[in-house]
Amino acid sequence: MKYNILFGGKAGQGANILTHLLAESLVEEGYYVFYYRDYQSLIRGGHGFNVLTFSDKPVHSHDSKVDVIVALDKNTVDKHQKNLKKGGVLIEGKDANMYFAGRMFKALGLPLKLLDKRLKKMKRYGENIKDVQRGYEYQSTVNSQQSMVLNIPKVQKAKRTFSSGSVGVAEGAVKSGIDNYFAYPMTPATAVLGELAQRQKEYGHLVLELENEIAVANAGAGSAITGAKTMVGTSGGGFCLMTEALSMCGISKIPLVFYLAQRAGPASGVATYNAQADLHMARHAGHGEFPRLVLAPGDPVEAQEITSQIFYLTQKFGVPGILISDKHLAESYYTTEHKPVITKVGHLTKFGRYTSYEQDPTTGSGTEDADVIIANVNERKKRWDALRAECEKFEGYKIYGKKNSKNCIVFWGSPKGAILDAIKGMDVCAIQILYVEPFPKKVGTILKKKDKIVAVENNATGQLCDVIREHTGMLIKDKILRYDARPFLCDELVKKFGRIFK
Amino acid sequence: MKAKKTQTADSKPQTANINTATPMTWCPGCYNFQILAGVKNYFSSELKKGKSKEDFAICSGIGCQGKIFDYINLNGLNTLHGRELPTSLGIKMGNPNLDVYAFIGDGGCFNEGVSHLVHAARENVDITCIVHNNQVFALTVGQPTGLTEQGFVDKTTPEGVTVKPFNPLKLVLSANATFVARVFADVKQVEWVLNEAKKHKGFKFIEIIQPCIIFHPDVGYKDYVHEIPKSHDVTDFYKAMKLIDDWDYNGIKKGDKINTGIFYKVKRETILDKHWQLKGLVKDKKQWKDRK
Ligand SMILES: Cc1ncc(C[n+]2csc(CCOP(=O)(O)OP(=O)(O)O)c2C)c(N)n1
Ligand code: SF4
Repeated sequence: MKYNILFGGKAGQGANILTHLLAESLVEEGYYVFYYRDYQSLIRGGHGFNVLTFSDKPVHSHDSKVDVIVALDKNTVDKHQKNLKKGGVLIEGKDANMYFAGRMFKALGLPLKLLDKRLKKMKRYGENIKDVQRGYEYQSTVNSQQSMVLNIPKVQKAKRTFSSGSVGVAEGAVKSGIDNYFAYPMTPATAVLGELAQRQKEYGHLVLELENEIAVANAGAGSAITGAKTMVGTSGGGFCLMTEALSMCGISKIPLVFYLAQRAGPASGVATYNAQADLHMARHAGHGEFPRLVLAPGDPVEAQEITSQIFYLTQKFGVPGILISDKHLAESYYTTEHKPVITKVGHLTKFGRYTSYEQDPTTGSGTEDADVIIANVNERKKRWDALRAECEKFEGYKIYGKKNSKNCIVFWGSPKGAILDAIKGMDVCAIQILYVEPFPKKVGTILKKKDKIVAVENNATGQLCDVIREHTGMLIKDKILRYDARPFLCDELVKKFGRIFK
Repeated sequence: MKAKKTQTADSKPQTANINTATPMTWCPGCYNFQILAGVKNYFSSELKKGKSKEDFAICSGIGCQGKIFDYINLNGLNTLHGRELPTSLGIKMGNPNLDVYAFIGDGGCFNEGVSHLVHAARENVDITCIVHNNQVFALTVGQPTGLTEQGFVDKTTPEGVTVKPFNPLKLVLSANATFVARVFADVKQVEWVLNEAKKHKGFKFIEIIQPCIIFHPDVGYKDYVHEIPKSHDVTDFYKAMKLIDDWDYNGIKKGDKINTGIFYKVKRETILDKHWQLKGLVKDKKQWKDRK
């Protein structure tokens, strides 16, 4: 059993809170829930929609065809009716979002108390609960057909977490003992800024918004050399402004964590939409040659784990680390069962004399001496090797599906959800790369045993394929690339995989 | 990376422990030597009074002035060109118990990094900002900065600079700085102003007139220097503006007065006062790593 419900309306009408309340209630009832947010870069009006998918089995993605459309405006009907399945239900009308919440709770047979207790924590409880009741009663009167579709089977209750990739990064950071987080707002990185800001009271770290990303990255470097565990966050455009400081971290052994949440680019691109097109930037940003980390989680649990690993590795090796996410992972909500494994690290960095110049280690000053330069470069190369060796101890890649199948999918980051949901029952394995830099050694050996390899990426060129070629010499020709700034959907991938892996 | 203690043969006992073995590469006669001597005297006397080297952090950028980092054996970061202020802010946020000094060129402060200056002043970040103003990008061999006078000619501007400089102190004051001072690059004046700045809480902005004897024509600054009269009310914003306005940086004309001393000094909450996390670290004299 799996249902997709689409909520659509103008920005400001409250489709988000409606989606979130329903999602949380379904999770509490024991269902697995995922929802995707699709919204424009505007504050009021326009068109935005969310797709909530729930099931009695784990689900991490949504589909293009939906069972129910909840339309808060006429535009939603016009735009999405073509995606409504045969026999699907359209719930529409000119009313408040909480009226629709009432209707959905009735249609899904959910106990109202789940909604009531959440509304009590929000503003305007009185008004909201009235709207809910009106909707609930109305839904009781409409024809049975509407409720039949949604006559969902009851499931066993279970304690699960419901969170986004941004929540994962923030939780991972506080569990790693973050001291300072600096940022300048930029979608889709801003959610981490908010999540960390809200956790200051509880955990005692500091969140500061500075004048621009250049300030953010340089302040990050300044903070990190004193020994404070420090992270900075941004999206592609802001990251471009940070790259000179990234390079400084590279030469001066500064353990700064960069959170890079990708959106569709280039330049200002498509501000609130998704892409995975900044992998090469993350790998190559900053002038000169220096060791770095580029780590890519694919769901909120991995976001926590990888965030803790990047704090550990940057502290231990005095290197900058880039934690690369994207809009889809950062802003979609996932039901998670597994407790993340957090890698702990102390404050390993000692304050001393740091410089953006090549450094004479006897004075801490800059140097132009050829022998010292060679020694420094060799030291960086040695540290790079040590970092590579240490990274092999972590799960730099994961294999899903039929592990021994000759058919293979390779991917990184947020496509994970749709891929895992799509390959169920197929004769295929899926390999996820979490450590892009340093790249896990064993991946080449595994890939060489496969007959058919298909890469799935949210970009136009297949950047992971380039990375794999660089490290293994293997040329991956078959690619499913999506570059319309939208994430992969489960039902669409099922069709595509079906054609390729018969 | 921990700084190694360095000993040099010529170190005077007074400043021995903050010397480095790094050879100095400023031009003979450069006014930066005056600044360095003043700064070292100041730190040495602080150390004598019981402060430890670990109480201080220094930050400089790129340019002739930036080399000062190499000549003072204190912890810190010789950061990127123009990023001295955010880097210093980061050091302060990383350990609010450190006394942080940022050394910046006029190019770094008012060209490359001017956005940072405005915000550091507005936020009243608890650091001492020392600008070596030689009205030129010296280390890149003498191109004009935003503070260079109209008509200035170099290899890259054969027709001469077409516009007037802006007045940096007016900018700093307008950005709500709480401490604004100017001195000439002279050992005694530098030591004096650092001791004055020490008494103030918040963002301390110090401009040092540091003529570049190679790339900027000597317009005889010294003859135009006037000490701000003792009677000046340092809390009066408009009087401060007026004193600042006595020189427009556009060369030197008859009647110009390069006033030196403290123009402005007022109390205001600093960035440390605004964040309970930092206040806590200061109160308990703790670092982040010491918190539970
Ligand atoms: C980002 C960047 N741009 C340009 C440079 C080249 N550069 C080195 S020093 C300098 C000028 C420094 O001028 P100023 O800050 O006034 O210091 P001065 O040399 O006059 O003391 C420039 C532009 C650089 N190092 N970094
Ligand atoms: S070029 Fe000017 S500022 Fe630089 S060292 Fe020489 S005199 Fe000093």
